[in-house]
Amino acid sequence: MTPNKGRENMAGKFRTALLGALAATAIAGGMVGTAGAQDKKEMVTVVKLSGIAWFNRMEEGVKEYAEATGNNATQVGAATADAALQVQLIEDLIARGVAAINVVPNSPQALEPVLKRALDNKIVVVGHEGATLQNVTYDLEAFDNKAYGEHLMEALAQKMGGEGEYAVLVGYLTSVTHNEWVDAAIAYQKDKYPKMTLVGGKLESAEQQQQANAKVRELLRTYPNLKGIQGSAGEDVVGAALAVEEAGLNDQVSIVGTSLPSVAGAYLETGDIDMISFWDPAKAGYAMNVVAAKALAGETVKSDDDLGVEGYEKVRVDGKVIYGQAWVDVTAENMDEYDF
Amino acid sequence: MPMRRFTNALASPQAVVLAAAILFALVIAAFNPGFLSLATLVDLLRNSLVTGIFALGVLIVLASGGIDVSFTAIGAFAMYATMSLVMGLDVPMPILGFFVLSALIGALLGLVNGVLIGGLGLPTLIVTLGTLSLFRGALLTFVGTTYITNVPRNVISFARTMILRLENAVGQLVSLPLSFVVLVLVTLFVAFLMNLTRFGRSIYAIGGSEEGARRIGIDVARVKVWIYVIAGTIAGLAGMTHMTLSRMANPFDLVGTELNVIAAVVLGGARITGGHGTVTGTLLGALVITLINTSLLSAGVPSYWQKVVVGILIVLGTGLPILIDRFAKHRERLARAAV
Repeated sequence: MTPNKGRENMAGKFRTALLGALAATAIAGGMVGTAGAQDKKEMVTVVKLSGIAWFNRMEEGVKEYAEATGNNATQVGAATADAALQVQLIEDLIARGVAAINVVPNSPQALEPVLKRALDNKIVVVGHEGATLQNVTYDLEAFDNKAYGEHLMEALAQKMGGEGEYAVLVGYLTSVTHNEWVDAAIAYQKDKYPKMTLVGGKLESAEQQQQANAKVRELLRTYPNLKGIQGSAGEDVVGAALAVEEAGLNDQVSIVGTSLPSVAGAYLETGDIDMISFWDPAKAGYAMNVVAAKALAGETVKSDDDLGVEGYEKVRVDGKVIYGQAWVDVTAENMDEYDF
Repeated sequence: MPMRRFTNALASPQAVVLAAAILFALVIAAFNPGFLSLATLVDLLRNSLVTGIFALGVLIVLASGGIDVSFTAIGAFAMYATMSLVMGLDVPMPILGFFVLSALIGALLGLVNGVLIGGLGLPTLIVTLGTLSLFRGALLTFVGTTYITNVPRNVISFARTMILRLENAVGQLVSLPLSFVVLVLVTLFVAFLMNLTRFGRSIYAIGGSEEGARRIGIDVARVKVWIYVIAGTIAGLAGMTHMTLSRMANPFDLVGTELNVIAAVVLGGARITGGHGTVTGTLLGALVITLINTSLLSAGVPSYWQKVVVGILIVLGTGLPILIDRFAKHRERLARAAV
């Protein structure tokens, strides 16, 4: 890079930063949008909090959508995952007269009143990770929990050769999604892979890696022929992998579950964890805007519709809730594609 | 009278806990014959490492008549702040440095508790409930919320270094990591402090009667400040030990396990009302709590029932010594009346 070019870049960066700062002030002040923004319909995605890897990744999807369609789509989020701050952000957006609000709620219930106000103001509202939301035009879910649980079990069964003892971990016995995944997985196994047997019931990891680790070591001691483990909380597979590695059983035990490459990466690399799954927030961010644009154009989303986003090619609609099949499977081979 | 001394020893909280632990292990062994082995013991020691270290800090606080629920937040804060600091500066740091830094941060946070409790004389439960939330909130707001998984290489090799490695009944490896040394050192330190120093005697004196301690010339405020600084330091060490065992720094870890640790200390014979508690008892308590938490599965107890059983055992374990003590006192009174 020549020094000259460097200076140019710097000037460019400075300009972008300045624009960014101006935009931030406008949002913070809850001011009426500038004339330029009125030309195209403004679509804003409100996330739980800004700055963490997950929602940075979602912002990439929103930007990608804006570039691909030329629509004015942006993302905002408070510095902390606070329901009250999220309500404030949405109130500002209503005052600004945006066309659509996509929201990933911190607390679905806390948002209902302000979302109702948005709907009353003829603003399209699309939720995500909020299947219980009432005051929305649509809610988009990456997948149906039952289908996801079955998908994980299918992967585990393949690794185990369709037979042998396996165990399941949940974060808490009370966490709804984890239990939905695991219950669907167990039912699927009983139906499709009768030679597999569940041992130890549902184990609780308290979403703590060391707890998962201790449980799995105890499990291995009790069921020395254990061949597979399915995790639910992001820490489950890591704690399990560590236990399996410590016991020297890497070749015997297969591990699949929900986690993120940034959490489970080291063990994916060594092969202690066979596969992890999650959904890609970038795709969800993109798809939310597609749904919002459809609603703005007066179209409805029906089952089997294609949203034009990977994983959302054949959605299922149940009331206001749209389900994709947007899980992403990550193994040692493709883990480098994800930086969160 | 030797007989009398024997029954006294039998009635001591440690003996009751030890007997309970042995009985419990025998019951598990009845379901799972492979259970009674050296490998199980090693596994148990490894599982109770962090609980044990935390418990020794809590012991000091309970002995002084206080209660601390903020130590897990201190441990998580110290561990995570140390890791983000070292990773942020990107300087090579010997493994000892991680522990020292974490202990220092723990000491500073403990000082906050100490000043509020010793300096201002505020109630311990209220203060530490507040600082539990404060330290955790500060950690997540100002330090970070992301998992640090790419920990330095020397931390990983420390985590992989084992003092002892053996095979259990079914041919799996069981090992005791080098971080066990931390528990040993903290144990020696606390045992020395509580049994062989004036400071230790002051702690028990304050726990027995604060007013009494003041009258015999103990500077109660100063001792209290130090108690929480030491408890904070130990929490910092426990946090770092936890990190090396996990091989990653997760800021959401540890908080939520405080009642488990307090239960361990109380099982070990310390009283919530202060003035009592021994190092041996506390370590036994930590072992028993861990044993209960990590072996019901091998006895075939389903997950929902495990909580019920843990609850019953804690009530029995803490209640029984008190009842035995009361019974012994009652008999003593009868004996005296007969004379």
